[in-house]
Amino acid sequence: MNQTVAQPAQPVKLDERVTRKSPLRRLLGRPEIGALIGALALFVFFGLTADTFLTANAFSTILYASSTFGIMAVSVSLLMIGGEFDLSAGVMVTTSALVASMFSYQFSLNIWVGVAVSLAVTLALGFVNGLLYVKTGLPSFIVTLGTFFMLAGANLGVTKAISDNVATPSISDMSGFSAAKQVFASDLTLFGIQVKITVLWWLAMVAVATWLLLRTRAGNWVFAVGGSAPSARAVGVPVAKTKIALFMGVAFTAWFSGMHLLFAFDSVQSGEGVGNEFFYIICAVIGGCLLTGGYGSAIGAAIGAFIFGMTNKGIVYAEWNPDWFKFFLGAMLLIATVVNLVVRRRAEVSE
Amino acid sequence: MSETRAPLVRLAGVGKHYGNIIALQDVSLEVSAGEVVCVLGDNGAGKSTLIKIVSGLHRHDSGTYEVSGEEVRFGSPRDALDRGIATVYQDLAVVPLMPVWRNFFLGSERRRGIGRLDIDFMRRTTKSELLEMGIDLRDVDQPIGTLSGGERQCVAIARAVHFGAKVLILDEPTAALGVKQAGVVLRYIVRARERGLGVIFITHNPHHAYPVGDRFLLLKRGRGIGYHRKDEVTREELTALMAGGAELEQLAHELEGIESGAAEELSAEVKRLGLTDA
Amino acid sequence: MKRFATGGLAAVALVGVLALSSCSSSGGKEAAEEESKTAAGGGPRLKIAMVTHSAQGDTFWDIVQKGAKAAAAKDNVDFLYSADPEGGKQAQLVQAAIDQKVDGIIVTLAKPEALKDVLKKATDAKIPVVTINSGAAQSAEYGALVHFGQDETVAGEAAGEEFNKLGAKKAVCVIHEQGNVGLEDRCAGAKKTFKGQMENLFVQGSNMPQVKSSITAKLQAAKDTDAILTLGAPFAATAVDSAKEVGSSAKVATFDMNKQLITALKDGSIQFAVDQQPYLQGYGAVDELWLYKTNGNVIGGGRPVLTGPAIVTKDTADAIAPFADRGTR
Repeated sequence: MNQTVAQPAQPVKLDERVTRKSPLRRLLGRPEIGALIGALALFVFFGLTADTFLTANAFSTILYASSTFGIMAVSVSLLMIGGEFDLSAGVMVTTSALVASMFSYQFSLNIWVGVAVSLAVTLALGFVNGLLYVKTGLPSFIVTLGTFFMLAGANLGVTKAISDNVATPSISDMSGFSAAKQVFASDLTLFGIQVKITVLWWLAMVAVATWLLLRTRAGNWVFAVGGSAPSARAVGVPVAKTKIALFMGVAFTAWFSGMHLLFAFDSVQSGEGVGNEFFYIICAVIGGCLLTGGYGSAIGAAIGAFIFGMTNKGIVYAEWNPDWFKFFLGAMLLIATVVNLVVRRRAEVSE
Repeated sequence: MSETRAPLVRLAGVGKHYGNIIALQDVSLEVSAGEVVCVLGDNGAGKSTLIKIVSGLHRHDSGTYEVSGEEVRFGSPRDALDRGIATVYQDLAVVPLMPVWRNFFLGSERRRGIGRLDIDFMRRTTKSELLEMGIDLRDVDQPIGTLSGGERQCVAIARAVHFGAKVLILDEPTAALGVKQAGVVLRYIVRARERGLGVIFITHNPHHAYPVGDRFLLLKRGRGIGYHRKDEVTREELTALMAGGAELEQLAHELEGIESGAAEELSAEVKRLGLTDA
Repeated sequence: MKRFATGGLAAVALVGVLALSSCSSSGGKEAAEEESKTAAGGGPRLKIAMVTHSAQGDTFWDIVQKGAKAAAAKDNVDFLYSADPEGGKQAQLVQAAIDQKVDGIIVTLAKPEALKDVLKKATDAKIPVVTINSGAAQSAEYGALVHFGQDETVAGEAAGEEFNKLGAKKAVCVIHEQGNVGLEDRCAGAKKTFKGQMENLFVQGSNMPQVKSSITAKLQAAKDTDAILTLGAPFAATAVDSAKEVGSSAKVATFDMNKQLITALKDGSIQFAVDQQPYLQGYGAVDELWLYKTNGNVIGGGRPVLTGPAIVTKDTADAIAPFADRGTR
């Protein structure tokens, strides 16, 4: 369709209004940079104030704490880049664990059957979240708030109806348990340090999510549907499918976290998980995700989770009055949001 | 470019009504390769209905719509796109926070293997395609939101051209822009024409239309009130026709003083931008 | 091929689970109420409402309800349960019970001030009120007949004494809900009688992995810790895990009771449990209201009736094992 490219390329003239971007400036444009600076500062800070903070074991504990938030923050950050929230993410973890536990227990089946059923059920829940959002056109905040309450209620209602108790019976003596524990909740020794397997899964998920976001068509679509859904639709991006897939991504990590919960602690409290959804969102926001969508990174969310884990445990290591924990949390969130605002303003100067 | 083939797009006696409201009645229009047709009209004149029909968003109720001599009834914008008719809407369908190259290829990403993007190719292509349109971007990795309104418009146009558009429909591309920015966009319209595309340029500003248009279709209240070749009409007549009929004379008088000044300014601008051949 | 079979099973099973969850979404409570309607009992049929500050799905309150329901079934009482952790909303629920013209109200006074006015309305409407669990101090003042509960400070003190017996020197008190007065009182009570040094540790109770990593972190930071006191049964097992992981020899003890705890008490991984007998709180409160309505009796003569602390150790665990097993202890 083009004419011949005979037209000689115009001599490249540098735009006199802008100087070339230095590598430093380029780095500062990354979404996760604010979080990274924050993480380093916190690390140094706690390193100086808490004696045990800089030991290998402490580091491993912090990584474990970070990973349990971080695994969820991976998918939640993708969802937020795609412009949506999932408030049901916290209780969905519990739902997933309950389904696997009760299914195996009630039918006296191999644990892996419960694990598979749980995966199917949880993914279906994510699909329903996405479908409800797409079909109703309501804000995902409202839709998932609804499913949050429903799941919280169902967790308790079903658990009590089936086992006449609010916690599931221990499944540690059932067949398949030890193998599943190996996969979801074991300890490994790496370089002489005990590391929880969730840390490795977390890092793997961050890597996959980052690759997806930056190197695949799907990732392009995630940014597009979050940045401007009408524009994305106009150029042929399947907006509805992309959003549903993102909700299912959250469901997937909820399933994984649920399996960790189940196999690390044998029995599951049906009331657990409430409130965690906000911590996942906080991790993503600290890590540079915009609340309005279209911007952010999985690595950032991982750093956010690390900051969160570090703050969480750092206060314990420093042996401070734990009453201050939430104060720190709030301060971190504020700082992160301000940094993001600055980044966003720079990105949208001409708007 | 001067083959005597059927025009790329031809509408004959096209009409459209929504319920009992007649939005468009008996409108005809032809666009050939290397030709810019300007559709002029005030708000509510039926411009957007016309675009929606040409771009495949709506179907016409009467008259005929031909593409390269073949009668068509499009079911969706995708159908129109497949026939090489691309529309650049006012909102441009760009995602402000995404890099220029990602926007350029959004929805039509080039891949290597399963799911993997061919980033190098897309960066290079974006850069060269934009260069072809005369836009020299420093960095195709910058968010498209950092570009000026005119530049963004041009990226959208370049994108349509790259993905095989034969006919470009531009919906008020200059409406929200300042004089200088508008001049930049007009320049790319001319470039697109030079590349052999047919352009349907929708605007309500005769001063933007006149320098670049080959033909002018004037709409008022859903009807065509004039269809002129450039050599049949002057800028003043065009402005007059836009305002329409009797009130016009008076308006022309009122405007005279300001008008000539503005016109001179624009033609100077046009000259500066190298559009004098238009 | 094994995987294939599993997949097929999973699909069938999925349908089952969905069906199950859809038909029992409003299950437990209703089913239990149905049961109580058919149960026989003496005297006219009464309607008694219990309004607590419990969060959803709390083991403890589940046992309280079981006790209350058992008494309700025996006494031919229509038992209504509702709960909200927020003081204001709990007051609204009490108001709702008054509007329903119930024959008696059982209420917890975790946030006494929030409930003061609404309890006045209840007594004005001649509805007898019994307080349970928390609020021993305000119970009589607010016009309640009697209070069933454990004095948290006293219970804490008992725990402190127990640790002294075990010879502990440095203890950690794990608070799983920040700002909960009852939990703070327990730790404060334990600190009072404990001869060694005791510190509080705050953990997020709704997130078990966080509970675990926080306890682990605490044990790593304060290596000489030799005793851990958790304030809820599920957290005790987690504390045991953490201690094992760090290689700490800290002795774990806990408040409250559940089935898993019995096993842990027996194998010695948990030293003792301070049980406040929630079943008794529910059972006693319903029974008291029934007695009051049918015979004008007031248990304990209006003085707070203490349901705990009952210390359960390795030696006594066996005796209550069957009860814990069925979820009533």
